[in-house]
Amino acid sequence: MIGNFGQKFSAWIVNVAIAMTALRTNLMRSILTTLGVMIGVFAVTLAVAVGSGAQVSVMQSINALGSNMALIFPQPDSEGGRTTFDRGRLTMRDANAIKKQISGITDIAPQLRTSIQLVVAGRNASTSAIGATPGYGKVANAAAASGRFISEADVRSAARVVVLGPSVAKKLFGDYDPVGETVRINRAPFTVIGVMESKGSSFGNDNDDIAIMPITTTRQRFTGDSLSGPDDLQMLFVGFEDGVSLPRAKREITRLLRERYRVRGKDINPFTIRTTEEFMKESAQVTGIFQIVLVAIASISLLVGGIGIMNIMLVSVTERTREIGLRMALGAKRSDIRNQFLVEAAVLCVIGGAIGLTLAIAAGTALTIYADFPVPIGIGVGIGAIVFSAVIGVVFGGYPAVRASRLSPIEALRSE
Amino acid sequence: MALVETQDLVKNYVLGGETVRAVDGVSLSIERGEYVAIMGASGSGKSTFMNMIGCLDVPTSGEVRIDGIATQDRDGDALAELRNQKIGFIFQQFNLLARTTALDNVAVPLIYAGLGSEDRRAKARAKLEEMGLGDRLDHSPAKLSGGQQQRVAIARALVTDPVILLADEPTGALDSKTSEDIMEIFETLNNQGITIIVVTHEAEIADHAKRRIEFRDGKVIKDILVAHRRIVNA
Ligand SMILES: Nc1ncnc2c1ncn2[C@@H]1O[C@H](COP(=O)(O)OP(=O)(O)OP(=O)(O)O)[C@@H](O)[C@H]1O
Ligand SMILES: [Mg+2]
Repeated sequence: MIGNFGQKFSAWIVNVAIAMTALRTNLMRSILTTLGVMIGVFAVTLAVAVGSGAQVSVMQSINALGSNMALIFPQPDSEGGRTTFDRGRLTMRDANAIKKQISGITDIAPQLRTSIQLVVAGRNASTSAIGATPGYGKVANAAAASGRFISEADVRSAARVVVLGPSVAKKLFGDYDPVGETVRINRAPFTVIGVMESKGSSFGNDNDDIAIMPITTTRQRFTGDSLSGPDDLQMLFVGFEDGVSLPRAKREITRLLRERYRVRGKDINPFTIRTTEEFMKESAQVTGIFQIVLVAIASISLLVGGIGIMNIMLVSVTERTREIGLRMALGAKRSDIRNQFLVEAAVLCVIGGAIGLTLAIAAGTALTIYADFPVPIGIGVGIGAIVFSAVIGVVFGGYPAVRASRLSPIEALRSE
Repeated sequence: MALVETQDLVKNYVLGGETVRAVDGVSLSIERGEYVAIMGASGSGKSTFMNMIGCLDVPTSGEVRIDGIATQDRDGDALAELRNQKIGFIFQQFNLLARTTALDNVAVPLIYAGLGSEDRRAKARAKLEEMGLGDRLDHSPAKLSGGQQQRVAIARALVTDPVILLADEPTGALDSKTSEDIMEIFETLNNQGITIIVVTHEAEIADHAKRRIEFRDGKVIKDILVAHRRIVNA
């Protein structure tokens, strides 16, 4: 068995050696042919990598939002049905009811959102502000890197305090730690009580360009007029313990809120609930389609490269008909001749594929560094690209190789 | 049992509606150890006949038996194996692989015999040394003279230790001095017991053989044993 395997292995090595000789003989032609495969593998590898990069950054931004969580906002749910509400509904009382009645909740983060203008010592920054409660920190994976986060007391007293995102802090204070400093927000003085940990960016969107203040302060000073009730919320995050089924939690919350708003039958809910799990699934789907489209387009160039391989292998077989006849006279079986040309095509493709892969890795690294877009080319993609190149060689070299193997020994030998 | 046996061997070529009977009902047998010269005018069917007994070409009808094996029942792969193990070919144009060393050229049949690379090199080297080419192992055909190339080709034909050597005008591309050298090699090989069948136009070449078969229009018109034997390398 081992001996037999050794012989077979040795036969393949011989084929690689024959292939290398043949390819070297027509060096320029080999290089030009392999260029097609090289470009194809480059394009496909990069497409796969860009696609998974998109996936990674979507997942990162969802994780930055907070894992295992439901987002509820006062917007009539869009699926068909009768509307009994002129606008969405979501209040602090709803939030408290959810916290009390639904199991597996770690905390809730009721929020108001607005945009603000911060000024300090002649420098200014505009950013979006979140009016939050201490629960926000826990639910949204947010913590103060320096100073502290908003406390219950801040909320109760509607204190004029603000926690800055690192980007805002940097813009206003440079590298100086601003905790304890005063900033003017829409002309009113606020004390900076903390700076958030960085959450990086997703899709060129800076997660650190933010300011957080007590929800009560936000309501009093900034959003009061735009809300219809003193108790209204613009957003509610509900965090869940690990292992809690989000679809089930969503059903329970929906039932609870429908009861509270007396929504019956097929009537539209005045609120919308989304979970991080849904976001993940949807974006996986979207980025998946994105990736498929990219790879499909890139594959066209690989197809063209493959056709080039087939073309040149047909030429090679025709040119070497006499050699084929000779090998047959000396005892080569059909399979020997077929394998010889298959290996030649595969070697050609693997060389092209390896160069294409190298270029793709270089381009991916450049994209990661200069465009801040992750383009991961892992070992799996690398091995896949090489194996796939070999497969291209076998597929497109297959017809020429089989044609070579079907030649009649005497006719091949007599050919000029 | 004859080593090579043909029975009513026929090869027709159809060209533009006309049938050419290249080999027209040849029945003969060649025993182990014979040295046969096949002669005849150009187009008389010598090469066609050789190609059929060499299992390179398929007869239109009739039978070829090599060492008792009926070739018409065999598929292409079985014939390839038979050629590899029992037959050594020598061609007029040497047919060496270009840009390939003498050693690698001689080793080619051993690839298809399934030998590992060490064995291949060892055997090929031994055969080349036998042919007096021990110092030309790494030369490519382009760097060898015609006679040296033909000796490489002979080494290649012999490397699998075949029982028959088929040579179609082996000296056709060589000068007379070199031709004589090749003929001496053939005689030595025949003395070692290898059966040799050689196609030639030249009487001097045919004179080395022990038996002479003459073709005309695809038929054997003469088949004689030559009594006289030259003594070589006494
Ligand atoms: N592939 C072929 N197609 C058609 N006719 C062929 C083919 N091969 C040989 N013939 C014909 O068969 C006949 C015998 O040819 P063959 O090559 O056997 O002659 P030969 O005796 O070897 O001649 P030479 O001494 O010139 O080599 C010739 O008439 C030739 O034209
Ligand atoms: Mg001839």
